[in-house]
Amino acid sequence: MTSSSSSNGIDVTSCDREPIHIPGGIQPHGFLINVNPEDFSVRQASENATALFGRDISAILGHRLDELIGTQHADLVARALLNASALAQLIYVGAIEVGQVGYFDVIAHRRNHATLIEFEPVQRSGAADFRLLYTLMGRFLKTLSHVDSVDAICEYAVRTIKEITGMGRVFLYSFDQNDDARVLAETLDPGYPSYNGQRFPASDIPQQARRLYLANHVRLIADANYQPARLVPDMDPDTGQPTDLSFSGLRAVSPVHIQYMKNMGTIASMSVSLVIRGRLWGMVSCHDKAPQFVPFEVRTACEQLGQILALRIESIIEGNEYAYRLELRSKLVSILAALSQGEEFVHNMSTVSHDLLMLMRSSGAALVFEGKTILFGDTPSQEQVAQLVDWLAIGGGGELYHTSTLPSEFPAAADYADRASGILAMSISRNYRHYVIWFRPEVVQTVEWAGNPAHKEAQREEALPLTPRKSFDTWRETVRRTSEPWHKNELEVAMEFRSAILSIVLARAEEMAGLADELGRANKELESFSYSVSHDLRAPLRHIVGFTDLLIEFEGANLNDRANRYLRNIADSARFAGKLVDDLLSFSQMGRSALHAAATDMNQVVQAAIKRAQQDTQGRSIEWNVGTLPVIRCDATFIELAVYNLVANAVKYSRDRPVAVISIQAEQTPDEFIFHVADNGVGFSMDYAHKLFAVFQRLHRMEEFEGTGIGLANVRRIVERHGGRAWAQGVPNEGAVFSFSIPKRLPV
Amino acid sequence: MTAMLKPILLVEDNPKDLELTLIALERSQLANDVIVVEDGAEALDYLHRRGKYADLPAGKPAVVLLDLKLPKVDGLEVLKEIRDSAELRSLPVVMLTSSREEQDLVRSYELGVNAYVVKPVEFREFVKAIADLGIFWAVLNEPPPGHTKVLRRV
Repeated sequence: MTSSSSSNGIDVTSCDREPIHIPGGIQPHGFLINVNPEDFSVRQASENATALFGRDISAILGHRLDELIGTQHADLVARALLNASALAQLIYVGAIEVGQVGYFDVIAHRRNHATLIEFEPVQRSGAADFRLLYTLMGRFLKTLSHVDSVDAICEYAVRTIKEITGMGRVFLYSFDQNDDARVLAETLDPGYPSYNGQRFPASDIPQQARRLYLANHVRLIADANYQPARLVPDMDPDTGQPTDLSFSGLRAVSPVHIQYMKNMGTIASMSVSLVIRGRLWGMVSCHDKAPQFVPFEVRTACEQLGQILALRIESIIEGNEYAYRLELRSKLVSILAALSQGEEFVHNMSTVSHDLLMLMRSSGAALVFEGKTILFGDTPSQEQVAQLVDWLAIGGGGELYHTSTLPSEFPAAADYADRASGILAMSISRNYRHYVIWFRPEVVQTVEWAGNPAHKEAQREEALPLTPRKSFDTWRETVRRTSEPWHKNELEVAMEFRSAILSIVLARAEEMAGLADELGRANKELESFSYSVSHDLRAPLRHIVGFTDLLIEFEGANLNDRANRYLRNIADSARFAGKLVDDLLSFSQMGRSALHAAATDMNQVVQAAIKRAQQDTQGRSIEWNVGTLPVIRCDATFIELAVYNLVANAVKYSRDRPVAVISIQAEQTPDEFIFHVADNGVGFSMDYAHKLFAVFQRLHRMEEFEGTGIGLANVRRIVERHGGRAWAQGVPNEGAVFSFSIPKRLPV
Repeated sequence: MTAMLKPILLVEDNPKDLELTLIALERSQLANDVIVVEDGAEALDYLHRRGKYADLPAGKPAVVLLDLKLPKVDGLEVLKEIRDSAELRSLPVVMLTSSREEQDLVRSYELGVNAYVVKPVEFREFVKAIADLGIFWAVLNEPPPGHTKVLRRV
C-alpha cells in the first residue's frame, strides 16, 4: 500500500466499539463518589474511597456526604451544585481538608441521573489559584494577536503549555481530511524522540475517543502504570446501568490506550482538544516519561488556552480562506468578463486560458465543447482526455467531479499521472458531454509516519487480543500518483463558474437559435420576394414588348416615323427592364446558392471568357496579353462568370481605341492568388472607385456604354463568397485594372 | 386526315399571355385545335371529361401547355394529378412559365414534366419557342403505343 489511504484500511472496529466512557473505574490518584442528588447519600464509590474516608466501603455506601466530609464541606458542595444549571458542567467546589488525610480539590458535575463528586489530592492547603489563568491568558492573547501564521501560533502554544504543565514533550497536531494527524509543532526535553512533521494514522484515535475529546476538552492520564480503582457497586443502583464517566477527570483509561502509551514510552499524558466549528481540528498532546499529576487549575488554564488557540486558528483559517476566496472570485470575474465578450465561446475561453489555469492552480486544462477538445497547458493527450470524458460521463460524476488520486479511481490515468493525478471536472451542459477539466500533476510526497500504520493490522492478525502498535520509529512512506488536494473554496468557485458558463452558453445558444430563426425568416422573405419578382414583374414586361412589337407589325406602316420611334422606345425600355429583372435575380441567386469548390484551371476559364467576349468584337483590333495562370480551388461556374464580366468590360470600355490592349495576369502571395484584368480603355476617375462594385452603379451614360450595372456587383459577390476581395484602379482615358484575389484556403 | 388531329390544351389564366400565346400558336402554323381553359381545376375537368366537359368524346389532347401559376389548382398540382392518373399518365405536358426559379424547375421535373419553357421577354423569341414546342410535341414526337400520332396539315 502506497497511498495515504493505507491508514484508512486498518480495521480498528473492535477499538471503535470499546465503550470507553463507562470503564467502571477511575485512575487511583483521586477518588470518586456518585451521590443521590436529593440527600447526597452515596450510591457508588471508587473502591479506594475507603482510604480517603477511613471507612469500610459498607460505611460509605448509603451514607450521606455530610457524614463523610462534615456538614460545612457538604454544604459547600450542595451550594455549588445548586448553581449548576447545565449538565455535564464541571464545578470547582474548592479545596477541602478531609479528615487527617490532606487537602483535596473537589470537582462536581451532574451527568444523566448521576451526581459525581471527585476528590483530587493537592499539595496546597487553599483553593486553587486561578490568577495563573489571567496572567497566562493575557500574555497568550497579546502574543497571538501579533502572529498571523498557524504554524507560529502552534509553536507558541506548545511552548506555553509545556511551561505551565512541566511535561517532557508537548506537541500539537491537526487532522487532515482523512483524519490522519500531522504534527505541526513540538517542544521537548532532551531524551524524548521527536515527532515533529510526522503523521499518526487516523486509527490511532478511535471514533468514540474522538467524540469524547469533542465533549471533554482536557484529558489527563497521570500514570499509565496504574491499577484502576473500580466503582462499587459496578452498576449505578438507581439505574442498574454503568455510570457514564465521560466528563470525569479521573475516568479510567482503556487498556488498549495504556498499552499504546507504554509502547510510546509515555507514562503520563494530557491532551487538550482544539475544536473548530464543532469539528475536532487538532490536539495538543503532552507526554512525560514519569507519572505527572496536573492540578485542576492548570488543566483549566490549558483548556482555556486551547479554546483561545482554536478561535485564533479559526480566524486565521477563515481570514486566509476569505482572502483566497476573494482572489478566486476576482479571477473568476475577469474570466467571465472575457467569456461574455463575443459569441465565440471556445475562442474566448482560449484567450483566458492562462487565467483559467491560475484559477484552479492547475498546470493544465481541457475544454470539451461541441465535439472539440481544446487543451491548455500540460495535459493528457486529446485521445486520453476523450477516454477520461467517456469515463466521467458513464460515472455520472454530476456537475462537479474532483479527485486528487485519479489513477486509483480510473486506472488508465496511471499513464499520465505526471500530468493529471488530480482532476476537477466541471460539466457545462445539461444535455451534452461538455466539460471544463482542470489537471493537477503528481506531487510525489514523502510522508513520515510515527511508525508504520499498517503494522497495527499485521499485529492484530497474528495475536489477539488487540494490541496497539509497538513501534513509533519514523517510517517513511512515498505517496505517488497523488496531486495537491482540491480546496473547498476552489470547488465552490467551480460551482459558481459552472452556473455562469451555463448561462453564457445557454444565452449564446438561444441567441444563435434566434439569429438562425431570423435569418431563416429573412431568407424566406427574400425567396418569396424574388419569386414574385421573377413571375409577376416579368409578365407585364413581356406583354409590353409583345404587344408593342405586334402593334409595329400590324400598324407600323400606317403610323408616322415619330409614332414608330415611340413604339420602339417603349419596347426597348420594356426589354431593358426585363434584363434588369433577370440580372437582379441571378445576382440574388448567386448569394444564395452553395459554392461547389473544385480545382479549376484559370487558363481555361480565361480562354473561354475571351472566346465568348469576342463574339461581339467583329472588326475590332484587340491585342490580348494573357500570362500563365494557376490552377486554383474555386466554384468554376461562378468564377467563369466573374472572369467573363471583367473581360467583357475590358472589351466594352476599350472599343473606341484603334488597338485595344487587354492584359490578364496572375500573381500569388503565400495566402492567396491575385488576378488582374487590365485594359487601355476609357478608364475611370478614382473618385468614383468606391461606387464601381455596387449594384446598378454606372459611371458612364447609357448612350456611351450599355449595361445594367450589375456585372461588377456580381464579380464582387462571387469573389467575396470565396473569401477574397475585388478592387480596381483607373485613370480617365488611359485605362483600368480590375483585380480580385481568391484565398488558397477557402472559408468553410 | 384532319380528323386525326388532336387538340392542344392550353391552360392560361392571364388574358394578355393567352392572346400572345394564341398569336404565337397561330404563327407556328399548327393545324391542331387549341382548347383554352383558364385554371387548373377546369383543366382537370377537361382531361377527366367531367363537369361541363362530361359530354366530350373520348380522346386526349396532343399536348398540354400548362402555365405554372394558375388560380385554384396551380400548374404543378395539375401536373401531379396527370402523372398520378393511370389514364392520363403518358400525356405530354409542357410547363410554360415566367419563372426562372430553380425550385419550380426542379419540382416540375420531379413531377415528370416533358419540357419546361421560360417565356422570353422578346416576342419574336416567344413565337419561336411556342412554334418549336408545338412542332415537337404535336408533330414530331412519337406518342406511346395507343396514342395516335398527330398529322400535320399539308
